[in-house]
Amino acid sequence: MKFSIVIYAAPYSSEAAATALRFSQAALKNGHEVYRLFFFGDGVHNASRLTVVSQDEKNIQQQWQQLIDEHKLDCVVCVSSAIKRGIVDKTESTRYEMNAVSAHENFEVAGLGQLIDATLNSDRVVNFG
Amino acid sequence: MTEELSSKPGNKKSIAFITRAAPYGRGNSKLCLEMALACAVFEQEVNYIFLDDGVYQLLRNQNASDIDSNSLGDTLEALELYGIENVCVDENSLRKRNLKAEDLLDNIKLVDQNTISSLLTQSDCVFNL
Amino acid sequence: MSILHTISRSPSSDLLKSCAGLLGEDDGILFIEDGIYYCADNSSLSEVATKVKLYALKEDIEARGMQSRSSADIDLIDYARFVEICCDYDKVVSWF
Repeated sequence: MKFSIVIYAAPYSSEAAATALRFSQAALKNGHEVYRLFFFGDGVHNASRLTVVSQDEKNIQQQWQQLIDEHKLDCVVCVSSAIKRGIVDKTESTRYEMNAVSAHENFEVAGLGQLIDATLNSDRVVNFG
Repeated sequence: MTEELSSKPGNKKSIAFITRAAPYGRGNSKLCLEMALACAVFEQEVNYIFLDDGVYQLLRNQNASDIDSNSLGDTLEALELYGIENVCVDENSLRKRNLKAEDLLDNIKLVDQNTISSLLTQSDCVFNL
Repeated sequence: MSILHTISRSPSSDLLKSCAGLLGEDDGILFIEDGIYYCADNSSLSEVATKVKLYALKEDIEARGMQSRSSADIDLIDYARFVEICCDYDKVVSWF
């Protein structure tokens, strides 16, 4: 089946982002397709490339990046949620003359249309917040 | 919005939103509205349902300028203009909070739980936050 | 058209009550994260246990030491089955 997964929660503040990550891993392992990961609201913090965690903790952002890399996943961070939370890619950074990029390159910063598109093209949309 | 969807034209789904958070205190009421407005822009059929504390979004006389927010009520009053025609509120949630129809903005349908339950059943996808 | 409802907050959230009012007869409920504390809350469960199928995420139960406290009416499932039951039901509605 084709899944899209929507993540509303920042990592570490609650379990939801980690749950979404494990769910995505399990879906792929079971042979399903992940059509899109969509990060919305505080969920955009999952896209940060500027994180360090203590040695006994798992880095959730890095695990997302690995999963996306490994399976070439389509992965979108909502632009309106992202830029107000300091998650900017090269395009937004240039547009607002910020001189810094905080979003990992695996994540595309785009509009809510990509979420609507995901609901139109997936068999199941599963939300985690 | 200038995005384009990769789906074929005529691909129309029915998408339900359950908005359960009171306004201003947390961001969820705004996120839910953003998603629904995007759905309407992309010409999907939207059912917008106020449940639990979400009914507080509908109170008349909101003025959020002193807490530096836009009044959510103003946008909610114009939902029809944005193409969201089926807007309803759970009468059970109102009763529990001692609210009556006359306390709320105009043009909101009061419905019972069976009606909401069948709306969810009929929808292709449900967002709940 | 059946719905799988996931609940991820503890009983103090009253989420099960909100969800219970909207259940269809073919629906199911899966408790995840802090939602698994519902598995030991028999008074809340009694309202829904006769109506719909109940599941809880094993990993979240074990993490919280709730294995032996969970009601017998609940089917404990792992992530792989979580994915599969999402396919068994027609859609998934998350309560958080």
